[in-house]
Amino acid sequence: MSQYRVEMKNVHKSFGDNDVVKGVNLNVANNEVVVMIGASGAGKSTVLRMINGLETVTSGEILIDGEDIAHKGTDINKVREKIGMVFQHFNLFPNMSVMGNITLAPTELGIASKDEAVKQAKEMLEVVGLTDKADAMPAQLSGGQQQRVAIARALAMHPDIMLFDEPTSALDPEMVGDVLGVMRRLAKQGMTMVIVTHEMGFAKEVADRVVFFDNGTILEQGKPKDIFEHPKEERTKNFLNKVLNA
Amino acid sequence: MLGALLPGKTVAAAQKTYTIGTDVTFAPFEFANQDNKYVGIDLDLIKAIAKEEGFKVEIKPLGFNAAVQALEARQIDGVIAGMSITPERKQKFLMSDPYYKSGVVMAVAKKSSIKSLKDLRGKRVAIKTGTDSADYANSIKQKYGFSTVTFDDSNNMYQDVTTGNSAACFEDQPVMQYGINNGMALKIVGKPAREGAYGFATSKNNQALMNKFNIGLKKLRANGQYDKIIERYLGNGSAKSQKAAAGNSQTTDRSFIGLLKANWSTLMGGLRETMVLTIVAIFFATLVGILVGLLGVIPNKLCQGTATTFIYIFRGLPLMVLALFIYTGVPSLIGSKVPAFIAGIVTLTLNEGAYTAAFVKGGIQAVDPGQMEAARSLGLPFGKAMRKVILPQGIKIMIPSFINQFIITLKDTSILSIIGLLELTQTGKIIIARNMEGFKIWTMVALIYLIIITLLTWLSNWVQKKVKA
Repeated sequence: MSQYRVEMKNVHKSFGDNDVVKGVNLNVANNEVVVMIGASGAGKSTVLRMINGLETVTSGEILIDGEDIAHKGTDINKVREKIGMVFQHFNLFPNMSVMGNITLAPTELGIASKDEAVKQAKEMLEVVGLTDKADAMPAQLSGGQQQRVAIARALAMHPDIMLFDEPTSALDPEMVGDVLGVMRRLAKQGMTMVIVTHEMGFAKEVADRVVFFDNGTILEQGKPKDIFEHPKEERTKNFLNKVLNA
Repeated sequence: MLGALLPGKTVAAAQKTYTIGTDVTFAPFEFANQDNKYVGIDLDLIKAIAKEEGFKVEIKPLGFNAAVQALEARQIDGVIAGMSITPERKQKFLMSDPYYKSGVVMAVAKKSSIKSLKDLRGKRVAIKTGTDSADYANSIKQKYGFSTVTFDDSNNMYQDVTTGNSAACFEDQPVMQYGINNGMALKIVGKPAREGAYGFATSKNNQALMNKFNIGLKKLRANGQYDKIIERYLGNGSAKSQKAAAGNSQTTDRSFIGLLKANWSTLMGGLRETMVLTIVAIFFATLVGILVGLLGVIPNKLCQGTATTFIYIFRGLPLMVLALFIYTGVPSLIGSKVPAFIAGIVTLTLNEGAYTAAFVKGGIQAVDPGQMEAARSLGLPFGKAMRKVILPQGIKIMIPSFINQFIITLKDTSILSIIGLLELTQTGKIIIARNMEGFKIWTMVALIYLIIITLLTWLSNWVQKKVKA
């Protein structure tokens, strides 16, 4: 058993001639909350999406609990069962109710019976504060509510790791707090989390480690206090100046 | 020999059945009467010979060209369709002894001033594809300086002359005479050319059938049956008897309602065939379309390539070419017959299936890619994610295209008349070949299509509402 939940070893990713990720080494320990920051196009989201195999690596290695996800013998679906993911645009299934969204994967994958899945879905809805919306359709919910359902949907698989890809970027400002509140609680409960976000206040408060991406590489990383208050690199300073004083 | 002398004995032995192809619109040699039964000199003759010689015939009214092609592909055993005996045909087929002497005549509109071939300079002449008359017209068109336009059946050719689009047409003399007897507003000018004779054709390896035909023909001539058959359709030579003979197979009421009544059951028979073809074709085309469409979205180069190629080929081929290829081309390749109905269904399945596959693929691709990512990120395998998440959303996008495709399929069945299927369009052609009432009958056929398509559209809209709700 590996000491890390996630290990990325010299990972590269190119789309055609465009090198998006250039040699990233990143380990995430159990119960650790890692927040990735950096300008758009710096490669944060691509790195995040490679962790659960939504993007394949061009070269390098990614291990989840010590298991190489690109290896032929690895069942990527099994790996994904223990990695929850929350998307910028929620990606709820519009043809199913909130309950349907949450119970689909556990029942389809034979992890829970229909009754168990419904019972657990209700618990998850309690976690995200939406017990009264079980029968609603996604289109009837606000953005913030949809994103909380998306979190509940991911949690219903009882993941070991949660990935968040700019979970609040598509939300109206007054909705952001609810979603961050849910994430804060998850972090406190010891969930291993990798988060891409532009919410610097949240990063400072919740992160165990902040990773600054620049031009496809990790330029600098460390405790939130060190990165935000004493950045070593000029480019980190520039970036933080821009976002904090915007 | 004994069997020929004692036909009763051969009946006792299992009688061999031969499939005989014939034209659809070549009165008085073959045409459908008001009961939609095929009658005519050729048919009475082949049936009488079959009886005489102790074999059975199954008549396939395919149209002249299709019949000859089907014989070449050995889909059928023989062709009797007022086929002139020519050296070229003798090379390709076995041709029987002549059973009717004929010649090519020129016919013009009743009021036309054209009196001879010389008057055709610079004019357009209508001919029927694959016929000896067409051959004749083509052989002299340089000399007399006219151009030609070709049609697939006699009636369309006549109509082109009566409407004035073409100045004249060339046709076998008895056929032309019959058409005029039946009220076609044409007149014969000049003398018959290229006097020749009609013969029955089989493929080169079917000497047995050919022998039976020749022997039977001799017997019919000897016992007077032959003359009776000719008289039945052309009278004994006088114009009056010809008119009477023509009347035998005609309805008298020529009003729209009268014609509709007289041909009602025939038209409904055609409609039934059209509906059966449509429903069966929609079923298989939808099945094939969905399977190929799904193949096209599987993330695998071979699957996608197969789907793309399928769509490219069968969407690209004109339906008529595909139908002819499957019906007359494929049999010579695989060495066995393809029944017309099967050929028709396969044609529609491939063509409509390709269109269906294209919009199924498009419909799936129109679903937000984030949906697939979300489903996969939960651990659902590709197939489950497709079935549970993507398809239910894609199908909603596809429904209008499906309805559109059903209507197109219904209309496209009409193209299958080219391979002789007795669907609504072919039925119309056949009725017109008998009564020459092109305008009224095509109006009826058009109205029937419109009514059915209207009903189908209503049904579809109702289904669409149900699904959306």
